[in-house]
Amino acid sequence: MKRYQYLLKKIAWSFFTILFVLVLNFLLFRVLPGDPARAGVRDPRMKQEAIEAIRIRFGLDKPVINCFESLNPIKVGSCTINPLDTQFFIYVRNLLQGDMGISFHSNRPVADILSERLWNTVLLIGSGQILAIMLGVAFGIIAAWKARTVIDYAALLSSLLAWSLPTFWLGIILLFWGSGHGLPIGGKATPGTSSLPFLQQWADIARHMLLPTLTYTIVYMGEYMLIMRSSLLDVLAEDYILTAKAKGLSTFQILKDHALKNAMLPLVTVIAINLGFTVAGALQIEAVFSWPGLGGAIYEAVVRRDFPILQGAFLLIAVSVIIANLIADLTYSYLDPRVQSD
Amino acid sequence: MSVQITEFKPTVPSSPLLDFWRVFSRNRMALVGLVMLAAIFVGAVFASQLAPYDVSTSENITINDIYNPPSAAHWLGTDDAGKDVLSNFFFGARVSLIVGFFAAFISVVIGGVMGIVAGFYGGRVENLLMRFTDIMLVIPDLPLMVVIVALTKPSLLNIIFVIGLLGWTTTSRIVRSQTLAVKSRKFVLRARAIGAGNGHIIRHHILPLVMPLLVVNDILVISLAILDESTLSFLGLGDPTALSWGQMLNFAFGRGAMSAGAWWALVVPGFGIVWVVLSLTLLGHGLEQVLNPRLETHHLTPGRPVIRSEIPWRREKKKGEAPILLDVRDLSINYITEGKPPARAVEKVSFQLHEGELMGLVGESGCGKTTLMLALLRLLPAAGQIVGGGAYFTDKELTAMSEAEITDVRWKGISIIFQGAMNALNPVRTVSDQIAEAIIKHSPPIPRNHLDARVVELLDLVGIAAQHKDHYPHQYSGGMRQRAMIAMALACDPQVVIADEPTTALDVMIQAQILELLDNLRHRLGLSIIFVTHDLGVVAEMCDSVLVMYGGVTAEYGDVDTIYNAACHPYTQELLKAFPDLSNPEKRLASIPGYPPRLEALPPGCRFAPRCPAAFARCASERPALHALGEDHFASCHLVEVPS
Amino acid sequence: MFSKKSVTLAFVLVTILSLTLSACGGGVTKQPVTLRIGWAGSPDTLNPGTAVLSEAWTLFEVVYDSMYDLELDGSYTLSLADSVTTSDDGLVWTYKIHDGIKFHDGTPLTAEDVAFSYNFYKDNVDFPYMNPYTTYFDTVEATSSTEVVITLTEPIPNIDYQLVFLYILPKHIWEGVNPTEYENVEMIGSGPFKMVEYKQNEFVHLAANKDYFRTPPIIDDAIFQTFENQDALVQAIKTGQVDLITEMPNTAVATLRNEPNIAVVTGAPFAPEVTDIILNQCSQANCPLDAGGVCSGHPALQDRNVRLALAHATDKQKIIDVVLLGLGTPGLTLIPDGLGMWYNDTLKDYEYNIPLANQILDDAGYMDANGDGIRDMPDGSRPLTFRLNWPSDSINAPRMADLLSETWGQIGVTLQMQAVDPDALTAQCCPAFDFDIMIWGWGSDPDPNLLLGVMTTEQIPTGSSETGYSNPAYDALYIQQATELDKDQRKALVWQMQQIAHDDVVYIIPFYPQAVQAYRTDRFTGWITDKPKVALEDVTSLVVVKPVK
Repeated sequence: MKRYQYLLKKIAWSFFTILFVLVLNFLLFRVLPGDPARAGVRDPRMKQEAIEAIRIRFGLDKPVINCFESLNPIKVGSCTINPLDTQFFIYVRNLLQGDMGISFHSNRPVADILSERLWNTVLLIGSGQILAIMLGVAFGIIAAWKARTVIDYAALLSSLLAWSLPTFWLGIILLFWGSGHGLPIGGKATPGTSSLPFLQQWADIARHMLLPTLTYTIVYMGEYMLIMRSSLLDVLAEDYILTAKAKGLSTFQILKDHALKNAMLPLVTVIAINLGFTVAGALQIEAVFSWPGLGGAIYEAVVRRDFPILQGAFLLIAVSVIIANLIADLTYSYLDPRVQSD
Repeated sequence: MSVQITEFKPTVPSSPLLDFWRVFSRNRMALVGLVMLAAIFVGAVFASQLAPYDVSTSENITINDIYNPPSAAHWLGTDDAGKDVLSNFFFGARVSLIVGFFAAFISVVIGGVMGIVAGFYGGRVENLLMRFTDIMLVIPDLPLMVVIVALTKPSLLNIIFVIGLLGWTTTSRIVRSQTLAVKSRKFVLRARAIGAGNGHIIRHHILPLVMPLLVVNDILVISLAILDESTLSFLGLGDPTALSWGQMLNFAFGRGAMSAGAWWALVVPGFGIVWVVLSLTLLGHGLEQVLNPRLETHHLTPGRPVIRSEIPWRREKKKGEAPILLDVRDLSINYITEGKPPARAVEKVSFQLHEGELMGLVGESGCGKTTLMLALLRLLPAAGQIVGGGAYFTDKELTAMSEAEITDVRWKGISIIFQGAMNALNPVRTVSDQIAEAIIKHSPPIPRNHLDARVVELLDLVGIAAQHKDHYPHQYSGGMRQRAMIAMALACDPQVVIADEPTTALDVMIQAQILELLDNLRHRLGLSIIFVTHDLGVVAEMCDSVLVMYGGVTAEYGDVDTIYNAACHPYTQELLKAFPDLSNPEKRLASIPGYPPRLEALPPGCRFAPRCPAAFARCASERPALHALGEDHFASCHLVEVPS
Repeated sequence: MFSKKSVTLAFVLVTILSLTLSACGGGVTKQPVTLRIGWAGSPDTLNPGTAVLSEAWTLFEVVYDSMYDLELDGSYTLSLADSVTTSDDGLVWTYKIHDGIKFHDGTPLTAEDVAFSYNFYKDNVDFPYMNPYTTYFDTVEATSSTEVVITLTEPIPNIDYQLVFLYILPKHIWEGVNPTEYENVEMIGSGPFKMVEYKQNEFVHLAANKDYFRTPPIIDDAIFQTFENQDALVQAIKTGQVDLITEMPNTAVATLRNEPNIAVVTGAPFAPEVTDIILNQCSQANCPLDAGGVCSGHPALQDRNVRLALAHATDKQKIIDVVLLGLGTPGLTLIPDGLGMWYNDTLKDYEYNIPLANQILDDAGYMDANGDGIRDMPDGSRPLTFRLNWPSDSINAPRMADLLSETWGQIGVTLQMQAVDPDALTAQCCPAFDFDIMIWGWGSDPDPNLLLGVMTTEQIPTGSSETGYSNPAYDALYIQQATELDKDQRKALVWQMQQIAHDDVVYIIPFYPQAVQAYRTDRFTGWITDKPKVALEDVTSLVVVKPVK
């Protein structure tokens, strides 16, 4: 019963956070609206009617909220605007229908463009995370076990070093080295390989994934190693480890049966919280390696000032992170029996 | 005879800053970080003097100066505008450091204020602020920063503000926790009681204790801010008129350094970023270790080797005496700490435990009781080392065994009942699992149902119903947990059971139950028990013999009647006096003034001398030997010396 | 005589035999010859009406036909039409369409499709580029299956320019669609290449149209591959992943020239560009207050002497060296040198001469009143401190700004430099005129009309005029050249306009950037590199290149 209430509370809170992000997202992009028509104003060929037509098409002629045409509430007075006809409500209504607007740059629905790219980011982050977690946990365990020895110091130092590297810079350096040694310069696949048989296609994609995944793993492996090490150090100093040792269990048995499960618990939470940061890492890596994912979409949208894409991608990323956090919370509650009596 | 009670002054007092520096300088990580940071600081401050070229002018630059590789003229080559990379590196340090520091300052101020307000005022305010912090923690910060900077002006001030306004989340959480902890400290409550206002309390009490934490956090926030600025600049969102390292990378990457093969334009600015961030990280982590020293050793750290020494020969076994199970002779144990003299935690302690005997081990906290017990099973923490004497279990020399050999003795021959506080049992495993684990380890494989039956049997032995078998430790009450510990300790039919203060954390009624249980089991199962406690009343009731320890040495050792009725050592006598006597409720309770000795700075003479009411000159200069006072009665005091 | 079975057997045998023989006669199946082209962009859409990016237009050029072809020397030749006649008043143009042209799906291309396309472009006012080309169209009709009649509202000198980019769309596909939302992924045209597969931001796969009504391409396929940035393009051609790259960072020229199998070509770009330094000289009288004009420009810039001094203090060659690594030509006016005959190359530029610039300012009375090293207005009211802005997405502008700041500093002028978001920059520029000096640029049309119009008084309130320059003589010439049907006469007028603009120092033009492209010499040969413009991805090269044996 108790756990059920706990879950409900967490889900409700996530929902509220998503709502907050929604409103934030909307407000951010209306503080300084990117006017698609302006792109045309630079070009003297665009007539005034054309500019107006574009404004209407993107719904930028409607008031933002209530009677305020911008967020500057200078205009006061009576106003009989249908609230459902304001930009904010149209935005929310469209979102609920899965419509994230139309890209300024390519005139295609944002939802289509982003859904294509979402899976590419998941692929990249997924592989990177799995590797980073595996290696980070393994090294963290070794470092904690051999605390204060040369192995520990070496692991500690290399993790701190990896953490100090700017992700994009590591990517550039690896790209510089790798591209001189036969690895692809960027992208997800060599064009034309979509007609090849499955295995060959994925072998090509794997070649393209090598450097970006390596960058990702190096940067985050260090962090996981540090967390695992500190978590395991805390656990190994607990009384029940002494009890286990007193019972005559071997070191390996103690690590396996007593320490790891306890030490993994904080790691689960951290991995989930980290998802937000790792998405940021994905942004940098995708920009450097031209990986066609969500992070790359944000980067390109920034360069081109394509605000619907920027808005949609930001929302998607924020929502993904919130949901990932929720899943981590639920997983944690499932793993830790103490949570039940919250 | 008058007694000189010498007071031991603490070591020479020094200012807190000096103390801090002493500890700090011993922390290598922090020192390296500080030196690295200082180096780059110097580079930034003296950029104009250190830079070989004046990068504000393009007077002598021609088309041939673009992307030149490192040479004698340009040690680190030239960039996309033909300017010297090394010179730009020094000036770039200025921008990167300024942005980092100021942005971090904003973050820390916001986070600090939020944390203190939330922690101090509590209630709705705290709820609101912390919920807001949680939301901001979840929203991915780099995309948000990218979006905001993209929508606003690419100027340095703007970037400082955006990074600053988004970087406070970790600070606020940390500060809030610390404020909560400090708020309920005694001196704060005292200040309130005398009418101090909130502002005063915050400024004078909370802030000083939060400050160290804030400084450490600030260092880490600075490193994050520098990383953020370099990322934003690289993505083209920086201020191109302020050439930070990130901006240098933006120019290099965007103006063809890769294609020109100009690795120096890409490596050098990045190297600068790594250097600064690493130095801050090392400094921050090091400082954290200084402020919150963590032992960094744990129960699985390999122990220190036993120092073999001469073991005094065994006294002869008397006729009709029950077999001796545990024979400890002149066991000495030190705790080694780096940079300090070793703490002599146990020195030349001896005792014998016969079959069926219940020995009470009595003494103050810190007198070495637990250390002695742990040493028997070679469970000393990493700092502990057996430096003399030996211990025998039946005919096996425990102090000479290897790790593999001693694991066989553990639990099967000798088991320990730890204090059943929350953590002696693993909270994420069921109680039956943990009991079964011991059985599985020390017996040949037995089928599952037999195992379960045995577990149920053991639990029943201690009075726990079978339905609680698969519950977790937190679902047991304090008393139940202790009983479960007892059940677990008996799982492998040990010959000796060490009960280490098993009732200390429990209330009186439960205590009585546990003691009765132990006594019961001992008679039923024929156990030999060492009962470690500081409670003399319990000892009087149950024990056959008593070992009184003080400051790591044997004060007095003998059978229970002798100790209680004819104690010879002044310490034992004082202990008995301090104990309330039911027969004489009017008697004034005496306490023993003074503090236990510091084990790494022991006086040359008797360890109890400073507090002993009967001390005389010899006590302070000469250690008393363990004198035998008749059959099986020993005391280490000059007063009982029998002139030979 | 022969049983049914044996007849069947014989029949089968003969069939097998003939099939085998025909296969043998055909020889081994050929591997398709594929040309791989690398570029750093991607079409924004395949809809010719709404497309904005140059990559889309490159595709339209090879997949569609239009009435005229624009050659690499700037001249126009008839393409779809065999002949054209015009009425005496210049209002009615009759084109005879070549017979027998087919779309890629087999349907014939007739005058109906031509008329439909032109009306389609005319009717959709929110087509940013296409619609303005139809400004002067009154009616467009298909009078027969091969004859199209265009009636204009007034005579214009450059109908070839208006029609060259109006691609002919198949009526049977486009007549029912939503004009702005139709994605046109199949891209059925009539040109020398047809669409095979399109993945936005990844690649465009075209196949040769071997039934093209003029010379079909020699190659079989052309794949345009999108790379994220120019460095990737350089690596791609070095490793042989592509055979041609359409752009590259100027720093790679030296590296690629050292590669044995790669040739680098430079020249005027197909769509010439001009980088300009905009000087806000809008007078208060001309300030378009109704259109939101702020007109906060520094008054000194309204004085020709100041603008002239700034021009003399601009070291164009150094800017070209540092910013473009020498791959640019020093600029004169807003009309780039790639416009061929329209470019007035007789103009003498203001040479880089600091003492002369200082002299000009001294003579005009701009002295340093308070001794801080910065000149002030003659009345001492304001120092010559100008705001200098540029779009934040330009990576070269900051470098240029640094150089300007340095040389202009030597004549007592200081700058407040700021990169600005492109949208915000537009808001500042025009018609608000809320700036002093800006670094920006234009992409040019083949016809100088639009760029010349930027400097007219009429365009001040519309947002097209960036400088607020107003000269009635210039305006009059503009109207004249817009209707002058004689090419040589028009050229004289256009040249005269450039002279006036240059004399008045309306802009300072640092350079016209050059196009830089590279191709692998060991893969394909026959590239057209001897024309004034360099555009190896243009249809002119794509139809003639063949594999190296």
